[in-house]
Amino acid sequence: MFARLRNSRGYRKFTRNRGAMVALGVIGAYTAIFILVWFFGVLTRADARERVLPRNTPGWLEKQSVEDRFNALTWYVESHLGSAIPSDLATRPDAQDALRRAALGERRIIDAPPERVLELWADLRAKHKETDDLFLDLEDAENEILDIRLIIADTTSSGGPEDEIASLREELAELEPEAAQLRAEFESSLAGAEAALTELMPMPKGWAGIVYGFRTFLGSNAIGQSISVHAFYSIKIAFQIGLVVATACVVIGTALGAAAGFFGGWIDALVMWLVSTLSSVPYLVLLAVLSFMFTGSQLFDNPVDRPELQLVKLYVAMGLTFWVGTARVIRGEVMKIRSLEYVQAATAIGFSRPYIVVRHIIPNTFHLMFINFSLLFIAAIKNEVILSFLGLGVSGQPSWGAMINDAKDDLTNYFFWTVGSASVLMFGLVLAFNIVSDALQDAFDPKHVA
Amino acid sequence: MWAFIVRKLLYNVPVYLGIIAILMLALRVNDPTYTFLGKNATKDQQDRLRTSMGLDDPFAVQYGRLLGKVFTLDFSEDSWAQPGRSVRAIMISAIPKSLSITIPTLIIATFVSIWIALVAAYFRGRPPDKTLMILAVLGMSISYLVYILFGQFFGAFLPDQPGGIGTPFAITGYEPWLLGEHADPWNWVTYCMLPVLIGVIVTIGYDTRFYRAVMVEETGKDYIVTAMAKGATKPKIMFVHMLKNAMIPIITRVMATLPFLITGSILVEVYFKIPGMGNELISAIKGNDFPVVQAFVAVFAAFFIVSVILTDVLYALVDPRVRLS
Amino acid sequence: MNVRIPSATRRVLTCIVVAAMACSAWLPSARAQDERKIVRIPMVTAGPGTLDPIMGSTQYDNRACSAVYDTLYQYKYLARPLQLTPSLAAEMPEVGEGGKVWRIKLKPGVFFIDDPCFSGGKGRELVAEDVVYSWKRIADPQYRFKSYWLIDGIIEGFDAFRDDQVKRVDAGQKFDYSAEVSGLRAVGKHELEIRLNEPNQQFLWKLAMFQLSVVPREAVETYGDAFNRRPIGTGPFVLRRPEDWQTGTRMTLHRNPNYREEYYPDEFEPGDEKLGLTEAAGKRVPLVDTIEFDFYVEAQPMWLEFQAGNLEFTTVPQHAFEEAFSRRTKELRRTYTAKGIREVKVPLLDFIFRAFNMEDPLLGGYTPEKKALRQAFNLAMDWHEMNEALYFGLCVEYDGPIPPGLDGHPKGEDRRVEHSTRGPNFDLARQKLREAGYTIGADGKVQNFPPIEFYTSTGGESQRIVELLQRNLEEVGIRLNPRYLDFAPLMQAVDNRKAPMFSFAWGSDYPDGENNLALFYGPNESPGANHSNYKSPEYDRLYEQIRTMPPGPERTAIYEQMRDLLIEDAPFCGSLARTRVYLIQPWLKNFKPTEDFYTYIKYVDVDLSDARRAK
Repeated sequence: MFARLRNSRGYRKFTRNRGAMVALGVIGAYTAIFILVWFFGVLTRADARERVLPRNTPGWLEKQSVEDRFNALTWYVESHLGSAIPSDLATRPDAQDALRRAALGERRIIDAPPERVLELWADLRAKHKETDDLFLDLEDAENEILDIRLIIADTTSSGGPEDEIASLREELAELEPEAAQLRAEFESSLAGAEAALTELMPMPKGWAGIVYGFRTFLGSNAIGQSISVHAFYSIKIAFQIGLVVATACVVIGTALGAAAGFFGGWIDALVMWLVSTLSSVPYLVLLAVLSFMFTGSQLFDNPVDRPELQLVKLYVAMGLTFWVGTARVIRGEVMKIRSLEYVQAATAIGFSRPYIVVRHIIPNTFHLMFINFSLLFIAAIKNEVILSFLGLGVSGQPSWGAMINDAKDDLTNYFFWTVGSASVLMFGLVLAFNIVSDALQDAFDPKHVA
Repeated sequence: MWAFIVRKLLYNVPVYLGIIAILMLALRVNDPTYTFLGKNATKDQQDRLRTSMGLDDPFAVQYGRLLGKVFTLDFSEDSWAQPGRSVRAIMISAIPKSLSITIPTLIIATFVSIWIALVAAYFRGRPPDKTLMILAVLGMSISYLVYILFGQFFGAFLPDQPGGIGTPFAITGYEPWLLGEHADPWNWVTYCMLPVLIGVIVTIGYDTRFYRAVMVEETGKDYIVTAMAKGATKPKIMFVHMLKNAMIPIITRVMATLPFLITGSILVEVYFKIPGMGNELISAIKGNDFPVVQAFVAVFAAFFIVSVILTDVLYALVDPRVRLS
Repeated sequence: MNVRIPSATRRVLTCIVVAAMACSAWLPSARAQDERKIVRIPMVTAGPGTLDPIMGSTQYDNRACSAVYDTLYQYKYLARPLQLTPSLAAEMPEVGEGGKVWRIKLKPGVFFIDDPCFSGGKGRELVAEDVVYSWKRIADPQYRFKSYWLIDGIIEGFDAFRDDQVKRVDAGQKFDYSAEVSGLRAVGKHELEIRLNEPNQQFLWKLAMFQLSVVPREAVETYGDAFNRRPIGTGPFVLRRPEDWQTGTRMTLHRNPNYREEYYPDEFEPGDEKLGLTEAAGKRVPLVDTIEFDFYVEAQPMWLEFQAGNLEFTTVPQHAFEEAFSRRTKELRRTYTAKGIREVKVPLLDFIFRAFNMEDPLLGGYTPEKKALRQAFNLAMDWHEMNEALYFGLCVEYDGPIPPGLDGHPKGEDRRVEHSTRGPNFDLARQKLREAGYTIGADGKVQNFPPIEFYTSTGGESQRIVELLQRNLEEVGIRLNPRYLDFAPLMQAVDNRKAPMFSFAWGSDYPDGENNLALFYGPNESPGANHSNYKSPEYDRLYEQIRTMPPGPERTAIYEQMRDLLIEDAPFCGSLARTRVYLIQPWLKNFKPTEDFYTYIKYVDVDLSDARRAK
């Protein structure tokens, strides 16, 4: 069956399309990640939940402002280590266990005797305190400068006395170098404190370092979880929905479409009635009804124990409505094939009608099935994102829609990493499928109008 | 011709009956009064609500009643979640809002994408065509959601920040054009423009590809050869002869989007807080507002069927061969 | 036939589109200026559920109802701690017979707004009989007893009245509003006599709650179910037409031209003068022409509108703290203060907690083991982390159910009681788990403990909260299976005692710890406010005792005793009180933010001459 496809002209044309080959490679990469996550459990939901960084840490390449760095350091010292390092560390029998639990992902507290750890910890706290004092001084100084600038601007615009402005400017000229001096001191003190932190919690090396690098290279979300783990884990959800919906729709659509096209008569009338009816139901309404039916069900709404079954409502809603397009296309094609000589010949020889459909007709619609599969795959992924965003789809497990929904407000803080990572990964997958389905169409069905 | 119209109508009647039956059943899987009132409701209240919607009647009676309402457009029953407002009032206030987003979107998107498609078809196979088509595919691959988020961010939020260049777009919301307290055409424009622009950008990728394919198919037709033989210039052939003939698929495509003019774009309406049909439908679903959901769904399906029939009829007018098949 | 658009038409259409876009590009984004004073107030909701006071419960219902209706008493606008002052009443009640008989005189000459439901279309005078009618509605089964808890067991003869009427209605008769209630009588036109079953300290606070607003019988009977969208009141503002309320968009209210004579208060706190809050003293209110409640389902658009100057004030949404405030000092950044924006941090009378169903076979029960188990949950929760991660560290973490600022709130360091079980203290949590009879594995995690169903509301924020909670509890091996439900189904699950553990928040109805202690009073069990179904004879006895006690050290001591009892028995984990941060535009005058009452709308004013307002 596939041999015929491979020898066809369309196949050769398709394989010569370089863009499509690259896109196939991209899809292959996504598939590999999907299999790694889904089958081998390389990334788990526990990984996604784990805290690896302070909140909203930007990813790779973006330089943090000094204030953000200071806030992150404060978080390490006051919130994280402050509660993770027990005060009675030196006398505890399970000191090493306690320290192990203070790890952030692969980044652990230095493997040293408790006395050494406490020493480093005290050093870090002292340095942080010093930095903190400098920060407060600096903020005061800079606010003062801003205030004076404002007064100057006000007085100038209201035509205030020149000499007053001049004296203010003088004051400003005095304050500015002082503030600059303070800033330099603050920055060096901050660098020192950060070094002390690295000493206490060294960056992991070797394999652990690579893993930690992967988990931190896209930064962290509002509760310090790894964005990269979320974004890559979401590929699994996208593929699950894409594969199930596309496969189901292609199978149902082909079966019903072929039956309608080949047998005609009441079967055709019934299938076309179903097609028209289902395509006139707003599928969002269908989905709302379904999600209403499934809400709170132990089986279908249990993201802790049965995350897969949570997707069933999406499968059903999309599955019910998306197959109609495939059925229409296949029906048209089958009607065309039905009148071709070789089918008539097969009928004349006396092959049974179901045999003809399976043996002679459906294989000739393979190209359409492939094209429809990739179009449906895209549609399913895009809709999942929108539905999860509207709160009707996936919850309690990472998905691109949930990520975007969760982080959309961070945009106004100029924090793009969560929304950006989800968007880019989704864009790559959808683009690859778009290119492949275009190339398939070009190769196998060139006369088709979009 | 009339026979054709009647045939089409007759064919679509069972379709509509089926839709209504499926939706009515789906909405009755869980008792809507219970869902709305919760378990603390008194029996009396539930009964009152149930009788007010006639939910105690046999299904066939309810079915007939709803059909009657759709045909007479008489949705005078009150919404449950917003007592005192009839479903009709909600529709009347929501439809213009959806239309003021969807109609400009449709018009602008269609015009712009036809022009881009013409340009692409004119340069068929050459770099401008290829660039445009790559852009179209790229544009299609970005999620609607991302367009909306970044559209609002770069279109309205960033320029409005201190030191920004300022923006004519309102960030969210809606003001009416003609009637009401805040009516002001210019205001209306500022509220609608950003959603419209985002809608245009989203649809333009799909439309351009479609129209280009239509144009490219037309170039192979005999009349083009004839026109060329007569010595017409290439631009003239493209923009005059071809465009006229390409109108058929263009109209079909535009007609196919008509029912969605009424539902509005749910995502845009929800995000930009435009109280159109889509937004009302979502909040009705979330508020378990049964009368509104049922009426909206029935009306939407009716619009869908009517526009399908209209498309077929128009098609038959344009191309008499269709009538015979 | 060929369908085509003539090219001339096409050109014209194109021109129109291009021209329209070009024109609009020059438009300023601000709305048209006019000289009327409009205050635009944001609400993060699709809108209040109702404008019928007795059907209301949320703070959004409260805000809207407070604008259109009046209660007998209201809070003094500027005074802190909160105090009451007459509103519809002429003076404070005369309390006699040992606190059992309350006589309340009403102000004469207060008129309802004009409406066709009154004869002649003119609003008639409000009389004492209206108060009686409005309160009797609470007993009408038609309104589902939504506000019944307010007067449950308080007014003499009222419970009997309700039972009689329910019987009547069940028998198919109409609710009889003319039936007498011995404890609620109009004495003449302008005086009310209320008899209580026993002296009650909290009753006066309740008289200021919006659910006990006064509504006219004509309107209720004319509009029926639609009454909750057609408010006919005596309040400072009026909803002129039902269309002025668009769910999901806005509600526009106009000044009530016949509003009774009421003046801006002249009592104030130190510090108010500096903020200009006292300048309007003695002016007749309301001070503005129009109030617009703008509804925002999402907080982000609200924040953007405020920055664009289209809202007079806003609360700061979580995502915007970083942008507007210095994390270290929690001060408003200079970029905001430079625009004249001022910030006010309003501590809420708030009690956020995670409750257990005390009837749950695994988590409930009163044996020492079960107590230890629940205490272990509390010890494994890091409220401080949640505060820092989600609330910018602005919330107050405390022990017990009584929010900050009230009698009975813990006075110890870090707002802890002596035997505090507030986490995070994972070691102690493990020890408590051992006490509860579980074994702790080598990894520090409890063995053979099934996942716990945790019921909480839907929404992005609650997912983050659950993620944090899961991570905390995982530390000692407790796993949570979250159930995200919309508010109504969540309440249903809790009322049905189906939820073993659930998330809850309680905003005090009035500034008295009794309101929170009532949440664990046995007879209030589900579907009442005691959602934990906590039952302790000693606690109930103490509660009955404090109900009649006047404030004082003696009562506070009992509050503390009850609080410690609760912490020991641990029917809940907690607690947290939010702090709401308000940002206020410089042209909004006389605004002192609070979330304890919402009658302030009539006092605010807008400075039309402020240059920063004109955009």
